[in-house]
Amino acid sequence: MKKKLVLLLALVLSIGTILAACSSKDSSTSDKGGKDGQPYEIKWYTIGTPQKDTDKVFAEVNKYLKEKINATVKMQQIDWGDWAQKSQVMINAGEPFDIIFTNGTDYVQNAQKGAFVAIDDLLNKEGKDLKNAVNPALLEGNRINGKIYGVPTNKEAARQTVYTFNKRLVDKYKFDLTKVKTLEDLEPMLKTIKENESGITPMATFKAYLPYDYTFNNEMPFAFPIEGDRDHVVNQFDTDLAMSTFKTMHSYYKAGYLKEDAATSKDSWPMDVENWFVRMGDSQPYADLLWSRSAKYDVVSVPAEEPTTFNDSVSGSIQAISATSKNPKKAMEFLNLLNTDSYLRNLVDKGIEGVHYKKNDDGTIEDLPARIDKYNIPTYSIGNFFVLDLYKDDPKDKWDKFKEFNEAAKPAPTLGFHFDSDPVRSEIASITNISKEFYPALATGSVDPEKYLPKYNKKLKEAGLDKVLNEIQKQFDDWKGKQK
Amino acid sequence: MPNDLNQTQVSVVASQPLDQLKRGGAKIKRKKTRDYHELHPVVNTIFSVLLGIFTIMCVFPFIYVIIISLTSEESIVRNGFQIIPAEWSTDAYRYLWNVKDQLLGSYGVTILITVVGTVISVLMISFYAYAISRPQFKYRRFFTFLAFFTMLFSGGLVPTYIVVTQFLGLKNTIWALILPLVMNAFYIIIMRTFFMKSVSESILESARIDGASEWRIFFQIVFPLSLPGIATIALFSTLGYWNDWFTALLYIDDPKLVPLQALLMKIEANLEFMKQNVDVGLMQQSLFDTLPQDSAKMAMVVIATLPIAVSYPFFQKYFISGLTIGGVKE
Repeated sequence: MKKKLVLLLALVLSIGTILAACSSKDSSTSDKGGKDGQPYEIKWYTIGTPQKDTDKVFAEVNKYLKEKINATVKMQQIDWGDWAQKSQVMINAGEPFDIIFTNGTDYVQNAQKGAFVAIDDLLNKEGKDLKNAVNPALLEGNRINGKIYGVPTNKEAARQTVYTFNKRLVDKYKFDLTKVKTLEDLEPMLKTIKENESGITPMATFKAYLPYDYTFNNEMPFAFPIEGDRDHVVNQFDTDLAMSTFKTMHSYYKAGYLKEDAATSKDSWPMDVENWFVRMGDSQPYADLLWSRSAKYDVVSVPAEEPTTFNDSVSGSIQAISATSKNPKKAMEFLNLLNTDSYLRNLVDKGIEGVHYKKNDDGTIEDLPARIDKYNIPTYSIGNFFVLDLYKDDPKDKWDKFKEFNEAAKPAPTLGFHFDSDPVRSEIASITNISKEFYPALATGSVDPEKYLPKYNKKLKEAGLDKVLNEIQKQFDDWKGKQK
Repeated sequence: MPNDLNQTQVSVVASQPLDQLKRGGAKIKRKKTRDYHELHPVVNTIFSVLLGIFTIMCVFPFIYVIIISLTSEESIVRNGFQIIPAEWSTDAYRYLWNVKDQLLGSYGVTILITVVGTVISVLMISFYAYAISRPQFKYRRFFTFLAFFTMLFSGGLVPTYIVVTQFLGLKNTIWALILPLVMNAFYIIIMRTFFMKSVSESILESARIDGASEWRIFFQIVFPLSLPGIATIALFSTLGYWNDWFTALLYIDDPKLVPLQALLMKIEANLEFMKQNVDVGLMQQSLFDTLPQDSAKMAMVVIATLPIAVSYPFFQKYFISGLTIGGVKE
């Protein structure tokens, strides 16, 4: 009797194991290769919606790679929205893979944790061509504690915030855009639009721009001035500039130039709906052309700042080699080829010639429907822009303009400095919460800064603002000292 | 949905005695006889109105979703969500028709994991619970504790992920959607208590005397006797599988294996990403062109909930009888 009950229980427990065993077929096959002249399979995780033709394209890619570096690549895309959580779990679980897309603070944190391989040595051997091809500002900006942990995509290294205008309305009322330098200069135009165009919201909701280099992001108080004293961190909300800018914004809000729910709205103001007059955005060379193309009407931009190389503009897209990689050298060989070999780069990005795109006589290309439907890969998350073929309607000097843009850019004060927030973690957590409460309302002008800005600063002080400022300054001085 | 149906029934029942009273009252010479169970007419009216309002509050969001799904995108951007939209449109459903392969595939996956998962889950839970509910099982304390322990302490996300992907190798298989949800310590404890309370030892004793094997006892005596309990955990586990999206987020990369709710979450998360990273979309517009707009999102919600909402009234009576049978029998 008892025996039978034990049996029953054993059965329950074993069903699980049996079921698991049935389906574990693919786990054993994945990490073969690399020895005995067998091509090594490089596992590559990158961002974007998984595409139908990925296998087809990578069959071609692998044919080429086997010849070149005796390796094959398995690319797995993870959907945009799932990316943050899923990639973090995979990294924390120590899942074996070779290359992973990463960016911004994720890159910094994971590199500090030791999830990525430092690639300085690899760059000097396997990645020599790559090192020559990539803009040095991109590589230097991504040094963490003196080491490079990933291959940045060679694209625009700088960021330039611009005011973008609806060109139809600019022409209609004959506005002179050359006069626009600051937020205050927008006033007369906004007024005209508000009075004469009923279906148009004068300002597509944006947060007022302040000329700072942020240690975290624009919501947080910690910032280094881009102009003037570039060596000291300040509380950006405790400046006259913040007060006057937010005041202007508040007067715009009161005048009805912004939507009433500006502070809380998650509206993304899609370009293709023509219901706005001015908006703010990050520019790159020929951005107006791209924007006009996707909006299907003309837009025109005016810079709000000089192009500047920020930490987050150089770490927008990075391929890191995982610490769990069994063959980092092969991974680097692949990255090297991907960033320097025009055939491979175009194949991975655009698909197979004649199937996904066609080549014109003058060397430019055009997408075929199959590229949009079945192999729509995000260009920015793969690699070097400058070896890509140009589209038929691209300006011929597109990549030259990119290079000019990069060269013209000035480095931001903290370019290459990565703050380690561990010593002040709890202060930062409470400051983040306070900022989430105040910043959106202030920066969209929804509340009166005379009343709320002092309140905000008082709360920040109570939450330990000074301690964090001191810590940032200390780490910054250390870093600065090592630079010389 | 379940609540409103209940309430309409309640109010129908409550109003019946009132009619009888009117008819009866005429015969018995205006003598006011009041049923003890009857509510005062004023109270009754107030309750009916309150419950009516509550019912509308329950149904309204769903109706609103249907309306939004039929609003043109242009009108949503210009005027926001409206109860009576400025412009009607069936574009959202046309969009769904275009992605019907993915949608039907996901439907299939969801139905498959729900059916298979529920069957396995109910069997495993009741096996385990039955074993630890029997006093003659020597190690029942240990195994009860083993199950109970997992209710208090769990390994956490990362270790679970390691076990499922590296130890069991379930990544990108249909089993990754089924097995992690099969066992549930809480249901085991419920079923154990249920077995101990509703299946008396003497019944099992008599079955043994008649020569029934343990298998026969379990499937032909214990199982029918505890049907209400089993129906309950089957219902919970069905809902659990139908609504689960998190396991798919973790373990599934292959679009062919994404269940319906995970597909909805994915679209939602992608839209969120798009809003936070406007620049990515602006540089390569076609990347996000395939993402549905607000109306299409609502249309997907309609498609995903409609089958359950429509079929629920037909199954409701089984659920209710299943859940109450135990109480009246003894």
